[in-house]
Amino acid sequence: MAEDVLLSDDLLSQLMSVGEVDLLVGMSSHSAANTVRQALDAIEASFQRNFVRQRVVIVNVGGGDKDEDGVVAQGPGNLAEKVRLPGITSLRTSHRVTANVSSPSSPGIALRTILAAADLLRARACAVVSPAASNLTPDSVANLLRPIYREKFDFVAPLYSRNKYQGLLARNLLYPMSRALFGCGIRELFSDEWGFSGRLAALCLNQDVWHEEAIQARPEAWMGISAISSDFRCCQAFLGEKSQATKGLGTDIVEVLRQTVGTLFWCLEARQSWWLDCERSQPVPTFGPAHELTSDPTDLDRPRIFDMFRSGVTELEPILSSILDPETHSEIKSIVSLEEGKFRFKSDLWVRTLYDFAASYHHAVINRDHLVQALAPLYRGMTYSFLVEHSDSSTAEMEAASEMLCGEFELQKPYLMERWKAKVEVKS
Amino acid sequence: MRQTILRGLEQVYGNLVRMIAEFLPRFLVMLVIIVIGLVVALALKYILRALLGLTKLDRVSDDAGASRVLRMAHLPPMTELLSRSIFWVTWIGFILVGLSVLGVAGLQEQISRLFQFLPEVFVAILILFLGAVIANFLSRTALLAAVNAGHPSAKILSWSIRFVIWILAISMTLEELGVARQTVISAFSIIFGASMLGLAIAFGLGGQDLARKCLERYLGDTKKKEDKEPQPL
Repeated sequence: MAEDVLLSDDLLSQLMSVGEVDLLVGMSSHSAANTVRQALDAIEASFQRNFVRQRVVIVNVGGGDKDEDGVVAQGPGNLAEKVRLPGITSLRTSHRVTANVSSPSSPGIALRTILAAADLLRARACAVVSPAASNLTPDSVANLLRPIYREKFDFVAPLYSRNKYQGLLARNLLYPMSRALFGCGIRELFSDEWGFSGRLAALCLNQDVWHEEAIQARPEAWMGISAISSDFRCCQAFLGEKSQATKGLGTDIVEVLRQTVGTLFWCLEARQSWWLDCERSQPVPTFGPAHELTSDPTDLDRPRIFDMFRSGVTELEPILSSILDPETHSEIKSIVSLEEGKFRFKSDLWVRTLYDFAASYHHAVINRDHLVQALAPLYRGMTYSFLVEHSDSSTAEMEAASEMLCGEFELQKPYLMERWKAKVEVKS
Repeated sequence: MRQTILRGLEQVYGNLVRMIAEFLPRFLVMLVIIVIGLVVALALKYILRALLGLTKLDRVSDDAGASRVLRMAHLPPMTELLSRSIFWVTWIGFILVGLSVLGVAGLQEQISRLFQFLPEVFVAILILFLGAVIANFLSRTALLAAVNAGHPSAKILSWSIRFVIWILAISMTLEELGVARQTVISAFSIIFGASMLGLAIAFGLGGQDLARKCLERYLGDTKKKEDKEPQPL
C-alpha cells in the first residue's frame, strides 16, 4: 500500500486516533503561516454550520514549521487535538491532524499525503483548500463538500467570479481545449480548491504517476481528468470571488504555462487512448451561477503585451518552425506585421497553433519544457487580441465568444488527431 | 658460366617459391580475418541499431538538438551514425590485424601507433558531440528565457552562449588530439578573453542605458511591471 511509505509513524498514530471519518479537508500550509488560522477557522465554521452530524477531520500538510504546526495542532506533539468553536454546538468531534513532510514540498506531495490519509480514514467526501486564498469562507468549503457527500458526485471543480480580463489562459486555452478533447466542460481544472470522493482518492492514490513533474506541480488537473476519463461523476460549484493570492505565481506567464499547459499536454499523452476515442463534450452539472464577470478597471500595458508577442515570434522563429505546421507558422508571421489596431489572432489560427504545439509535444520535436515556453509569445498575442476585441463586450457577448472558441476546438479536433498519429518528422 | 646462371635462376626461383609459399598462407589468413571481421562488424552494426532503436536514442538526440547538428553536417541520424561507426571501427580493426599478419616490416609499427591513437579520436568525437548538444540546449534555453522576459538582445545572448561553448568544445577536442597544444590553449585564451573584454566594454560604454535598465529590472521593484499583464488563471 502507498500509505506504508507515505505516512510517517507520527502521522499514522494521529490518524489511528481519529478513526473513520465522513468528511476530510486537506490543505498545505507551506509558506502560508499567516493565513493558516483564518483558513482553519473557516473550515471549522463550515463543519459546524453545515455538517453537524458528520465525523470530520482537517489534515494539514506542513513542512515542520513550528509556527504553522502550532496553529494547526495547538502545540507540537499534540495528537489530533479536539477543537470546538465557542457558541456553536456540533454533535461530532472535529479533529486536526498535521503531517510533516520533508522540504521542499510540492502540491503533488501534499495531495498524495492527503489522499493516503483519506484512504486510511475511509473518508467519503474530501476537499482540498488553499490557506493562501483570501476568499476561503465556510460556504466555499461547504460548496466543495456538499455535492460529493449529498449528491454522490466524485469530483467538484470550483467556479469563480472574476474580472473579465483575468483568467484568460483558462478562458482561451485550458477550458476550451480540455473540454474539446476530454469531453467534459469543467471550466476550472487548474485551481487550488477542489473536492473529490473517497473512491476517486483511492483510484488516484494507486496510480503510478506521482514522480511525474506534471503531477508534482498541478495534481488537481490530473485528478479531474482521471475522474472524467474513468467515468466518475463530475460537477462544478460556485465559490465566490477568485483570490489572486494563491500560489504566488502572479503574472509570471512562463511559469504558469509550464505548470498548466505542461500538465495538460502531459495528461493528453497519458490519457491518449481515452481522448482519441472521445467524440462529443458533455455539459457538467453546476451548483450556483455558471459564470460571473466583473468589469472593474484594470491597469494593463497593452502595447507592451503586443510588443512582446511581436518580438517573441520574430526571435523564436527557428524554434516555432520546428513546432508549428508550415502553414500555421506562415499565418502567424503574416499577422505579426499587422498594425496594433488591425491585429486579430483569429480563433481558428489559435486552435491550430495549440494543436500543433500539443502534437509536437507528443512527438517531442524539441525539449518539452522549451516547447511549452515557446508558447508564451503566442499566448501574449492571443491575450492582446482578446483585450482589444472585448474592451466593450458584455458578459453575454464574452460567453458567446467563449462558446464559439470551444466549438472551434471541437471542430478542429480531427486535425490534432491526424497530427498526433502522424509519423514523427523532425524539421531541420 | 651457363651452370652459374642456371644455379642463380634456380636459387631465385627457389626463393620466390619459398616466399610465395610463406606469403600465401599469411595472405589467406589475412583474407579470412578480414572476412570474419566483415561478418562480426555487420553483426555488431545490426545489434547496435536494434538496441539503440529500443532505447529511442534518435528521439533523445532530436530533443537535445544533436540531430539538427548532424543534419547541418549532412550526417545520418544518431542511431545510424553510431551503428555505421561501430561497423567501420570493427572492420578496420580486423583489417589492420589482418595486415599485421603479413609481417611487412614497418607496417606493424604504424598499425600499433594507429591503434594507440584511436581512443583519443573517439574521445575527441565524443567531446565535440557533447559540446554541440550542450551548446544547442543552453543557447535555446537562454533565447527562450530572454525573449519571454522581454530582453531586447535575446538572439545576441543566445548566440554568445553557443559561440563560447563551441569554442570551448573545439579547443578541448584539439587538445585531446594533441594538435598544436600550446597554440590551441593560447588561441582559446585570446579568443575567450577578447570576447569577454569586448562584451564588457560594449555593454559598459556602448550600452550604458541598457545596463541601467537591466540593473533596474533585476534589482529594482519588479512588481509594478508584472501587474501590467492580466492574471492568466
